[in-house]
Amino acid sequence: MNPIIWIIPALPLLSFVLLLLFGRRLKEASALVGSLLTFGSLILSLVIFAGQWGGESVKATMEWLAIGDTVLTVGYLVNPLNALMLVIVSLVSFLVQVYSRGYMHKDERFPIFFAYLGLFTFAMLGLVISPNLLQLYIFWELVGVGSFLLIGYYFYKRDAREAAKKAFIMTRIGDVGLFIGMILLFWQVGSFELDIIFDAVSGGDISEGWITLTAILIFVGAIGKSGQFPLHTWLPDAMEGPTPVSALIHAATMVAAGVYLVAAMFPLFEASETAMTTVAVVGGFTAIFAATIGLAQADIKRVLAYSTVSQLGYMMLALGSSGYVAGIFHLTTHAFFKALLFLAAGSVIHAVHTQNIHEMGGLWKKMKWTAPLFLIGAMAISGVPLLSGFFSKDEILASTYADGRYGLFWIAVVAAFLTAFYMFRLFFLVFTGESRSSDKKLKVHESPGVMVFPMVVLGILAIVAGYINTPMSTLLGDYLAQNQYLDIHHHETHWWIPVVATGVSFLGIFMAWLVYAKKKVARLSESAPDFHYILLNKYFIDETYDYSFVKGTRGFSYLWYYVDRFVVEGIVQLVASVVSWFSKIGSKVHNGQVQIYGSVAFAGMAILLLIVAWLGGYLT
Amino acid sequence: MTLEKLLSYEWGIMAPEFTILIVATLLSLIDLFMPAKASRRPLALFGLLGVVIAIVFAVFQIGEPTTSILFDTYRFDSFALAFKLLFLVATGLILVLAMDYEGQHNWQYRGEFFYLLLTALLGAMMMASSADLITLFVGLELLSISSYILAGVRKTNLQSNEAAFKYVVNGGIATAITLFGMSYVYGLTGTTNLYGIAEGLTSPIVEQNKFLLLMAFVMLLVGLSFKIAAAPFHMWAPDVYQGSPTPVTTFLSVVSKTAGFALILKIFLISFLSVQGWHNTVVLDLQPYIAFVAGVTMIVGNVIALRQRNIKRMLAYSSIAHAGYVLVPFVSLSLLVFKATWFYLLAYLLMNIGAFAVIQFVTEREKSEDMTAFSGLYARSPFVAVMMSVFIISLAGLPFTAGFIGKFGIFMSALGTGHYVLASVMVATTVVSYVYYFNVLVHMYFRKGILERIRPSIGMLVVMIVCAVGTIAFGVYPAAALEFFHNGFDMSQLFVK
Repeated sequence: MNPIIWIIPALPLLSFVLLLLFGRRLKEASALVGSLLTFGSLILSLVIFAGQWGGESVKATMEWLAIGDTVLTVGYLVNPLNALMLVIVSLVSFLVQVYSRGYMHKDERFPIFFAYLGLFTFAMLGLVISPNLLQLYIFWELVGVGSFLLIGYYFYKRDAREAAKKAFIMTRIGDVGLFIGMILLFWQVGSFELDIIFDAVSGGDISEGWITLTAILIFVGAIGKSGQFPLHTWLPDAMEGPTPVSALIHAATMVAAGVYLVAAMFPLFEASETAMTTVAVVGGFTAIFAATIGLAQADIKRVLAYSTVSQLGYMMLALGSSGYVAGIFHLTTHAFFKALLFLAAGSVIHAVHTQNIHEMGGLWKKMKWTAPLFLIGAMAISGVPLLSGFFSKDEILASTYADGRYGLFWIAVVAAFLTAFYMFRLFFLVFTGESRSSDKKLKVHESPGVMVFPMVVLGILAIVAGYINTPMSTLLGDYLAQNQYLDIHHHETHWWIPVVATGVSFLGIFMAWLVYAKKKVARLSESAPDFHYILLNKYFIDETYDYSFVKGTRGFSYLWYYVDRFVVEGIVQLVASVVSWFSKIGSKVHNGQVQIYGSVAFAGMAILLLIVAWLGGYLT
Repeated sequence: MTLEKLLSYEWGIMAPEFTILIVATLLSLIDLFMPAKASRRPLALFGLLGVVIAIVFAVFQIGEPTTSILFDTYRFDSFALAFKLLFLVATGLILVLAMDYEGQHNWQYRGEFFYLLLTALLGAMMMASSADLITLFVGLELLSISSYILAGVRKTNLQSNEAAFKYVVNGGIATAITLFGMSYVYGLTGTTNLYGIAEGLTSPIVEQNKFLLLMAFVMLLVGLSFKIAAAPFHMWAPDVYQGSPTPVTTFLSVVSKTAGFALILKIFLISFLSVQGWHNTVVLDLQPYIAFVAGVTMIVGNVIALRQRNIKRMLAYSSIAHAGYVLVPFVSLSLLVFKATWFYLLAYLLMNIGAFAVIQFVTEREKSEDMTAFSGLYARSPFVAVMMSVFIISLAGLPFTAGFIGKFGIFMSALGTGHYVLASVMVATTVVSYVYYFNVLVHMYFRKGILERIRPSIGMLVVMIVCAVGTIAFGVYPAAALEFFHNGFDMSQLFVK
């Protein structure tokens, strides 16, 4: 099976190169090339995945660089987690590419879009099979580059450019943490290899303090990529990218990379109680924080974006509460239903040409496929029993409770209620009631089959994916437990946790129905306008950043401006005049004054000789 | 010297040199008897054939024991061979470029273009193999004089004439300084043989006159910095690079520069290290000067490149900066110096020839060397734009390219030996270099140009693909080149007489 693994990331890379070189000639056939190659990756990933059931982890490396005694390697690592990620990434990427065939139809830069998708998929697949931190970091950055290109795809739109820049910079802040953590680990352990690091951790070769420090630094990287508080602000802005990109970035790839990173480094995190608590608290806080913001947004994609932030918080909460299986489980189910929701939202936007939910309404009858599929997604994310989200959310709640984090447990329960509420707020506003569109003549059409098909696949997965790990059968748990560095223990099940979860879920849906479908209860904007205003403005986080960091930096820069103006400038003027003096000489030289060149050489030599003489003490 | 003695030498070690010599001679004769109006293209093919045969000879020589002939003035060892291979491969690629250049221009050079490239190559090879200041100097001058003519080979072009003139004058000054430095070394040690010099340096008289010795080597360093276009002898490079025909520019920036490094490594390492070992005090005394030169070169090259609008001129400054990088491992002075330098020069060869191939292709079609010639290149020829991106990314030293590995290796060698200042200068100037390198990318992808499609010739395509594949392959899997170097070449041979 060895050669196969290399091919999985290589196929999307091939797609990238082919489309970059021949995209112009292929035109819209580019979609076929991209989809087929990614489909190849998907098939191979499934083969690898199947091989991991009861199979051994496979690691193969080869020497890449030897600097002195340090040998850096490249290679791949396949363990249950990585194999699962391969399947999720290639599957969602494949479906998104099929969908984009319809969504991006008639776009001027169609082939480039698919080329970027190929690059991005390559980076993400390469990331999940990295056996060492250095390789992981390189792909991690490549994922950042890919997301930059995709978010900024409509680069002629100012917002898109700004969003792409913001995404890149915000995640870069996190990356610095990851980089420092990685270097510190290397310094302590002497290797970037994950297994060597884990051996060192379990062997007690690193002190508790170092483990905590490096784990938290690595978590900072995950915070950036996975949009956790306080580095989450890039994620909603990233909605400026084309909708299929949002589906890809927010469901299975970029944001999942942060969760994956924590999961992949789990033995390190597990060794430090402080690090685990940090992860859990940041996750829990992000979960409820983003959920409340989601209540008040009017842009369909932004609601979904905050819901992503919130759900990622859930995953982090699970991981921080030793719920390794729960975190990965939710990552898996979330990948499906969130991709479904985004694609369905894209289908709606494609039909009504607006993203404002207050201008939608009454689409249930007009979009025979999209509407029920969106409903499935909304029910799954809200935790309606027997759909995938129910099982994974239940698992998270159970592991949080079992870990003794009761405060976070109740926060998660409230967040679950809010999730159900804002998701169905979205559903009722978009699909029920009368059309509120300002354009009365607008004819709404269902999207073409090429867009519906991926949604149907995801819809089915959003329903059934939960059954891989139910309280009755812990299939996924057993599968993931085949990792020698992990100690996965089953916690006892409390019958009342699913009941509570179901209760809050239905309560949320019911409330949303009362407010937005029946209109019996006043909306938040009417009952608590101040709170609504705060939520609408996302707790003013962006403004806070603007005032504290951006303005602060600017203020600081003013201070320096004056220092600069009156102190430094004199010196700079001097330097500048010297430079311009040199450039004057340079321009003279162009007229043929070759003597100058010789003079410079002689002057240089004279200076060097003078230094020799001076240092040697021959001048005194 | 009797005939018997002459015949007893193992002339086989010079097989690649003889091949080039014979081909160059034949070319000049054929050129003489060809009809004036006939195409000179076949000459280039013949020259290319000669280079390929020489490469084959050189490859078969890998692993051969050290041999020296002609009273120890000419020497075959791993060091010489490793550099000769670089020269030969580079010249081969440049000949292909030169062929295409003929297709586009109608200037009357009557074939001398091709055989002068070969004689210059011969000079470079001699420099790599010499073990005596006199033969070194002869090789150096053979390379230089051929290059002077090559720079001015477009006789009716004013820029080309200016380039050649400046090159000759500056070259003359450099040669004078070099010779002056050499004369001091000879005066102190009484011999011109590098190994003899090494022994001579241990004598107490030299110890007492360390000042003179240092001065001699500083002068040598300055004189030789001309060939590698490092500070303070870098100023000729932009003018000459800009004015010369592009294949010649490529030759100057790759082969000529690599030969300069071979020469510097040779003179300094043999004379200092072969006898007294690595901790020789003179070496330690000289280190700061080399570090100074390296630092200034990096700064000057990268900073001035920022302001350039002419693409050839910009790459000239970039090549000055690269000379600064290559001097860094030389400062750190360990056995790694060969590995790091050789690999960097290999990477430099690939990415620079590739970049110049694209430049030649674009500037000739645009009739302009301004940066705007590259505007909208991606729309006009996606393939060429992608190739150029590979070279630019490698020149900037970003991951997955040979340029990154090379720079990384150099950086680590500087850090490992505690040259933190130099390492920081390297990082800082590298960051500066991103600005002007990415400017090219911006022009290619984001600026609108004319929309007419352009297509490179087969020869151009081959050069671009070979260089791009090499750049990426050695970037992803540098061990391929490093293993080859490690297994085939035993650099400690250099220190054994």
